[in-house]
Amino acid sequence: MANNGGGPWGGGGGNRGGGDDRRPGRPGQDGPQIPEIDEIMKKGQEQLKVLMGGRGGRTPNGGDGGGEGPKLTKGTLGIGALIALALWAFNSFYTVRPEEQSVELFLGEFSSIGGPGLNFAPWPVVTYEVIPVTREQSEDIGLGRSGSSGGDGLMLTTDENIVDIDFQVVWNISNAADFLFNLRDGPETVRAVSESAMREIVAGSELAPLLNRDRAATAQRAEELIQATLDSYQSGINVVRVNLNKADPPREVIDAFRDVQAAEQERDRLERQADAYANRVLAGARGEAAQVLEQAESYRAQVVNEAEGEASRFTSVLAEYEQAPEVTRRRLYIETLEKVLGDVDKIILDEGASGAGGQGVVPYLPLNELRRTPAQGGN
Amino acid sequence: MGRGTIGLVVLVVAVFGALSSIFIVDEREKALVLQFGQIKQVKTEPGLGFKIPFIQEVVRYDGRILSLDTPAIEITPSDDRRLVVDAFARYRIGDTEEEIIQFRQAVGPGGVRFAEDRLASILIDEIRGVLGSEGVTSNTILSAERGVLMNRIRAQADSEAASLGLDVVDVRLKQTNLPEQNLAATFDRMRAEREREATDERARGEEAAQRVRAQADRTVVELVSDANREAEIVRGEADAERNRIFADAYGADEDFFRFYRSLAAYERSLRGNNSTLVITPDSEFFEFLDGAGISGLSAN
Repeated sequence: MANNGGGPWGGGGGNRGGGDDRRPGRPGQDGPQIPEIDEIMKKGQEQLKVLMGGRGGRTPNGGDGGGEGPKLTKGTLGIGALIALALWAFNSFYTVRPEEQSVELFLGEFSSIGGPGLNFAPWPVVTYEVIPVTREQSEDIGLGRSGSSGGDGLMLTTDENIVDIDFQVVWNISNAADFLFNLRDGPETVRAVSESAMREIVAGSELAPLLNRDRAATAQRAEELIQATLDSYQSGINVVRVNLNKADPPREVIDAFRDVQAAEQERDRLERQADAYANRVLAGARGEAAQVLEQAESYRAQVVNEAEGEASRFTSVLAEYEQAPEVTRRRLYIETLEKVLGDVDKIILDEGASGAGGQGVVPYLPLNELRRTPAQGGN
Repeated sequence: MGRGTIGLVVLVVAVFGALSSIFIVDEREKALVLQFGQIKQVKTEPGLGFKIPFIQEVVRYDGRILSLDTPAIEITPSDDRRLVVDAFARYRIGDTEEEIIQFRQAVGPGGVRFAEDRLASILIDEIRGVLGSEGVTSNTILSAERGVLMNRIRAQADSEAASLGLDVVDVRLKQTNLPEQNLAATFDRMRAEREREATDERARGEEAAQRVRAQADRTVVELVSDANREAEIVRGEADAERNRIFADAYGADEDFFRFYRSLAAYERSLRGNNSTLVITPDSEFFEFLDGAGISGLSAN
């Protein structure tokens, strides 16, 4: 801080000569900056003294004979001007947050839009309003509050049914100036327009599609209609989205609607049960059919095989028989009777016993007894 | 000192006079300058305005779009079904000087509040008129034609409100509902419709189930009888085959067949202890039983 002429600024002193010419009241000072600071400090001290009521060491305009009053007024005016300047600056500079915009009015007339950051609007010529633009605001409609007329969300459809609709409109501001200048009650307008638009759409729709498959389309159409209406007011409002929270039958009849769903389920169940029955009996029938066919085939095999075996046996015996017919014939006869009579109960009656003309003992045979005896013997 | 004070007073008066001779019309406002009740100036554009201090006053009106809700009213469309209707209007005080003057003349010192009352009665009138007019039924109101009706109400209300110096920007119906006492009937009808649908569903389910069962039963019978037919055919073929085989074999010597087959039949039928034979010993089998044929050759 030395005020010597050496160092890097040594030569500068000579150059500063021209600069010093503009400040003739401070001759002979080499340092270009420090004296200024000193002077300001000195001035400040003087002004402070004036403010405290003391006398200034020296007045800027030289001495005058006005006495104390004028001096005091001048000093006070200076301070007052400073304070006024500060107040004015405080009033004229303002900040705009990221979600906001400001609208500036020059003598009441729209002049410009201010973006986020520090903005300057020289008061009182320019006034400003800061409004949140990108922040989403929402209006819930149909939540059973009676604030707005008919706000219980019950709406009449074109097929004269009643549907209970709750929805939410989310909006922000696309044009701050339009929003500010064209509408007195922004949110209330959004609300009324939304309700009207939704009722208009519902009044043009049937109940059934509204409840399920047209939900998304309904919200979409409502959004378009609300936006179009708000645009026709040049409201500067942008509808971000419409959430259709609820589109149900009214509470009074919802049981009946649920019963329809139950009936649909029941129908499905009945059909499936019938299908199950059909599957079961058809499979059983196919099995039975297969069994019948297989049995027939087995019969065929059996019968044919037996026949072939028997025939072959006969053929063999026949061949043998043809070689010695008489003997074979007699042998076969005897063998057979031997076998038959060997097993069978028999009563041999001589012809004499049978009497003449067959009227012998035969009529007196206890035929029933005879027949019963083997059975009892069997037991 | 005295001169300074006078100067100060003059300055203050001058500043005050200047301030009260200028006024600012905001972008959102329209203004009238009145001099003892007489309209001297109309400011339709925002900006700075001048007036004579003290004897002229500024009256400001809101230039933005204002809102108005009508109370719910019951209307009777031409099909005599009653509906409860309410609406809202969006309107503004006209832009031109004539309209602003007209507004002032129509509403007097009451301002917008008075205008609202007048406009509300105009609206109710027009809603009743349009929705009750020839050819407008409740079905028309509850249809896509609603927009057309609303436009008609707006146009008529606008021309009526022109005498108030107002522009009706938009009129929209909000609720178009049934009166409270009809609500219960409608709910009953809706419920009945659902019941019909539910019953229909169930009946159709039963119908379908029955049909499926019947078809299944029929198919079962078809399958089994078809199989039986096939089986009988097979059996018949088998029997035929057997007959052919037997005929082929036995036909070689019919005489021997009779003998052989009879023997086989005796053997099978006279079996075990289920038969009792009463026989005379004079058959060929017993030819030797009585000893007659023992001499051998003499038998023959």
